Amino acid sequence: MTRPRLSCSGPFAGNRREFLQVGCLGGLGLSLGSMFRMQAARADAKSFNHFTGTAQSVIHIWLPGGWAQQETFDPKPLAPLEYRGEMGSIETSLPGVRFNELLPKTAQIADRITVVRSMTHGEAAHERGTHNMFTGYRPSPALTYPSFGSVVAHELGPRDRLPPYVCLPNLPAPDAGAGYLGSAYGPFTLGSDPANPAFTVRDLALPGGVDPQRFATRQRLRDAVGRHFQRLENTANLEAMDEFYSRAYDLVSSAQARAAFDIQAEPDTVRDAYGRNEAGQRMLLARRLVESGVRLVTLSYGGWDMHQKIRDGITKTLPPFDQAYAALIRDLERRGLLDTTLVMVSSEFGRTPKINPDAGRDHWPKVFSVVLAGGGVKRGLVYGASDAIAAEPADAPLTVEDLATTVYHCLGIVADKELVAPGNRPVEIVDGGKVRNELLA
Amino acid sequence: MKAFSAVMMAFVLWPSLARADAPVGIEVYPPKIRLDSARDRQRVLVQATFTDGRTAHVAAPALKPSDPKFFAVENGTLKPLADGETKLIVEHAGHTREIPVTVVSASSDPPLSFRLDVMPVFARAGCNMGSCHGAARGKDGFRLSLFGFDPAGDYHRITREFPGRRIDPGAPEESLLVAKATGAVPHTGGKRFEPGSELANTLVRWIAAGAPDDPAPVAKLVGLDLYPPTALVAGADVRQPFVAVARFVDGTDRDVTDLCWYGSNNDPTAKVSPEGFVTTGSRGEAFIMARYDTITVGSPIVVIPKDLAFAYPQETGGTWVDELVDRKLESLRIAPSGVCDDETFLRRVTLDLTGLVPTPEERAAFLADGRPDRRAHVVEELLGRKEFVELWVMKWAEILQIRTVANEVSPKAVLLYHQWLDRRIAANEPIDTMVRDLVSASGGTFTNPPTNYFQQERDTLKLSENVAQAFLGMRIQCAQCHNHPFDRWTMDDYYGFAAFFKQIARKRGDDPREFIVYDSGSGDMKHPVTGQPVTPKFLGGEAPKVTDRDRREALAAWITSPDNPYFARHVANIAWTHFFGRGIVHEPDDARVSNPPSNGPLLAELGRRFAASGWDFRLLVRDIVLSRTYQRVCDTNATNKLDDVNFSHAAVRRIRAEVLLDVLAEVTDTKNKFPGLPLGARAVQVADGRTTNYFLTTFGRATRDDVCSCAVRMDPSLSQALHLLNGDAANDRIKQGGLVAKAIAAGKPDSEIIDGLFVRCYGRMPTERERIETVTTVMAAPDRKAAIEDVFWALLNSPEFIFNH
Repeated sequence: MTRPRLSCSGPFAGNRREFLQVGCLGGLGLSLGSMFRMQAARADAKSFNHFTGTAQSVIHIWLPGGWAQQETFDPKPLAPLEYRGEMGSIETSLPGVRFNELLPKTAQIADRITVVRSMTHGEAAHERGTHNMFTGYRPSPALTYPSFGSVVAHELGPRDRLPPYVCLPNLPAPDAGAGYLGSAYGPFTLGSDPANPAFTVRDLALPGGVDPQRFATRQRLRDAVGRHFQRLENTANLEAMDEFYSRAYDLVSSAQARAAFDIQAEPDTVRDAYGRNEAGQRMLLARRLVESGVRLVTLSYGGWDMHQKIRDGITKTLPPFDQAYAALIRDLERRGLLDTTLVMVSSEFGRTPKINPDAGRDHWPKVFSVVLAGGGVKRGLVYGASDAIAAEPADAPLTVEDLATTVYHCLGIVADKELVAPGNRPVEIVDGGKVRNELLA
Repeated sequence: MKAFSAVMMAFVLWPSLARADAPVGIEVYPPKIRLDSARDRQRVLVQATFTDGRTAHVAAPALKPSDPKFFAVENGTLKPLADGETKLIVEHAGHTREIPVTVVSASSDPPLSFRLDVMPVFARAGCNMGSCHGAARGKDGFRLSLFGFDPAGDYHRITREFPGRRIDPGAPEESLLVAKATGAVPHTGGKRFEPGSELANTLVRWIAAGAPDDPAPVAKLVGLDLYPPTALVAGADVRQPFVAVARFVDGTDRDVTDLCWYGSNNDPTAKVSPEGFVTTGSRGEAFIMARYDTITVGSPIVVIPKDLAFAYPQETGGTWVDELVDRKLESLRIAPSGVCDDETFLRRVTLDLTGLVPTPEERAAFLADGRPDRRAHVVEELLGRKEFVELWVMKWAEILQIRTVANEVSPKAVLLYHQWLDRRIAANEPIDTMVRDLVSASGGTFTNPPTNYFQQERDTLKLSENVAQAFLGMRIQCAQCHNHPFDRWTMDDYYGFAAFFKQIARKRGDDPREFIVYDSGSGDMKHPVTGQPVTPKFLGGEAPKVTDRDRREALAAWITSPDNPYFARHVANIAWTHFFGRGIVHEPDDARVSNPPSNGPLLAELGRRFAASGWDFRLLVRDIVLSRTYQRVCDTNATNKLDDVNFSHAAVRRIRAEVLLDVLAEVTDTKNKFPGLPLGARAVQVADGRTTNYFLTTFGRATRDDVCSCAVRMDPSLSQALHLLNGDAANDRIKQGGLVAKAIAAGKPDSEIIDGLFVRCYGRMPTERERIETVTTVMAAPDRKAAIEDVFWALLNSPEFIFNH
């Protein structure tokens, strides 16, 4: 039942497009013509072709809950105590640039990364802010937008027998899904944590008692009992299922592809360098995955919604991040992967300028930090600034649209391109964003 | 048992008369004509009809005024001369029609109106689209309201933002408004129309006149007629013009053919030019849409190959459903597939009605039933089962979004809500009563459980959107922020509808988990553009008197009234979608002008009969599953292999998450466990949308956070394939259930065990080839039990199991 794989823009290019159309827009090939018409109408204004981007892969480190800019990459040592908070700051390898005192290892690699201190949007609720930061769009009542990873899966397709978009360990939020593109472009979620000593990826390994030889028998039997039904395989859903089975066979039977998920294959020294904890092992696995062919990995780490006792929260959560992140950047660099791998650290928003009565900080989307590295981004840059108390952008505010457009640009995707949402509605990948060339090397 | 698989088809050829191409009649559009001013014009369309249903545009019909004093005819267009009542005489191929013509104000030439003449230019040229100046922050410094929802704001921005630049009454042609649009200066959006074109002239004349605002409110647009209303054209590259006439509340009308935006939902079949000319392409059906101001309308056009030799198969024993489906298929020249055999029917209908597959015993009993109407008997039996009720309780629980919500809807409330629903469905209570009780529900969330509907969504706008989508099948969300571009809904409609929910209030009950939902009797919905209070108004209907009662009572009565065209059709379409995997309107909760039903008469009749039956849901289901249409095979023929929307063959449908898990448990003889339910409960029975497990989530169970029917995901994924290949769903269950071990212990031979597994999983015996291949594999294997289990595994991993077909 496995069908020959198609090449060019990925094995799904042909029938998945068809599948999407039939799924969303109805038969008789309705959407393609209309899309061409829409494109033709504006062809003089917009270019839709992919180009070769600087980044071949993305590791998106998602810090759920809303991380405090003050207690991480944008400390305010000169602000009054109630704004500054209790924590101190340290010098970094960039003269005059200070990070939180618990980022010593990251401080040493500050000359390899770009810290954006002027990220801004207007959504102070977790789910709405999360939507902004995963899709480049404000939430809409009419449409669920696809996340970065799903757009990448849709535009670029799989590579080296591996799923194009992986979430690690789980889907961090519904907004990280495929939205209107349909679950065929959704992430492959691991369902288990690489920090767990008994880590395995769910359903990736053959079940107990089934060796490769028996699996081959099973495949043969599946072919035998499936042949009768094959007469119907002009149906989009059947074809998609068939494709996923052949991709699953690929994964299950390709030792190389499966090895991408095998964190135990990393030397102990490397695993220790990243840290034997959630931050460390997730970032290490993310590196393995993009190295093996996954295009975009989203990993989530920690709970950053620190309404109370922010010092305790940061003290517990930040050091593992510091160790893992610095190790990741150094490891990518050592392997020659940093220039082709975009690493983005982001969160749904930042936190209030002033410490609240519970010694915590509350939601604050007006200004916060995003950290970018590799994949064509400048080394050793602090981009933009917040004001003296980290309340408003003071310089070069970075919008959600511009961030998304710049990330897509690094990947060679024109964010102005229109995708087709249900109802034959043309929707730009990002609406109205600009590439921030100042961020790019 | 294969008696039905090869239906004898008799063929009747079209009468040879059809080839003679003499029209049997002509239609003239518009059917009556009114000319309102010296500027007014009206195009006339003549369409010839033929015996086989084809239509043809008559390019040069003979058009004559009955009296040349009142109007003149130039190039098929009427031009006023003098006031009066008269007639247009149309002659073609021996057929004559008389069209009444009224001419008034033939000598007056009113000034150009901003709203009636200028705004339509922006719509026609695409200036106020979302990707251009209609974007929320405009484009390149110039903003227009999206699709013109705010004419006053547009007037302000055009005339006041860049005086002398954007419009320059001294040199109208050099106004940026004109120069940009005609490409005279660089424009990101390119050249939108030619200098000197009708559109450009309108702008220039309006600016030259001082760009006046409308002195008084203009007559409200009440309708848009698109002609011809339908066409069935033979051959490619045939041109069919369209004519659009706008009707206004003061009784005037206007030929707006040149001012509409046109679109086709199927360009390869029928491409429409910006001028409203359709050119036909490959065979198929297209919907030609025209939008003027706030109204979008459409006409279906069918394209068939020229000189096609086609004969519709003659079948016997169809129902009223089949008659309506067949009529559509015949017009499309599509021959439907044959009727499925008994085994296929039994598996399909058992899955669809009960969410289970037939047991080997049920299969044997059905095949042994010699009665000619055994299918009707088995349907009756299945309709009486509790599993039928449970399946539809689940479907409605999805529509009503039954789920726990932290601090709002407690597990106890969910349970009571679910039980309320279960009692209603089990008693086959009329659906209108159920929905009426829900929409108007007041009281405690424990004592009157449907009040939970208002507890689980407390945002007024979101709630009204949910109600429109759940019970009327309409997505009105777009109109929250701008007039809906592809439907009739304006912001006025949206906020008028939302106003029904504005006075809902909630407070805590005695039990801290209970809330009381009640009518506060005060509070107004504000219109976001005007800031004025909005009175409650039904969607596309009247504004009822609501001063003396809960607004929701008036709304509930309107929604469920047999005269409401939306509700009955929507519920009927939900049922239809369940059985065909595709709605007559698809998605079933996305009814809009630009998403027409694939078979309007069928949907209308389903809705009419459903309401007329006293909202008897089981009767509706019976009518559907006993139709020949439902019983067709999935296999296609040369004429219907590209058809996915007209029900000419059965669809291959992935089985939904809950049912697939239940069926896996059933065929492997294993049990499921869900929180709060006894061991062995079925996934279909789970009350809370939040309760799930890896299997259900992976196969697309809806969390019920979203009202959209699309929240139930049927699309395959990599995780699904991996889970069935390697996960516990197939592999572990086969071992746990021990069916293979038991069969071996009972001393059964390989072929008998394998036959039994095929019957369990597929509801059929293996083909000879399947039997030989599987049995030889088992015989060659070192471990007999493992090998037979591998056959079982293979059966569960094949599309024939995962899909209903």
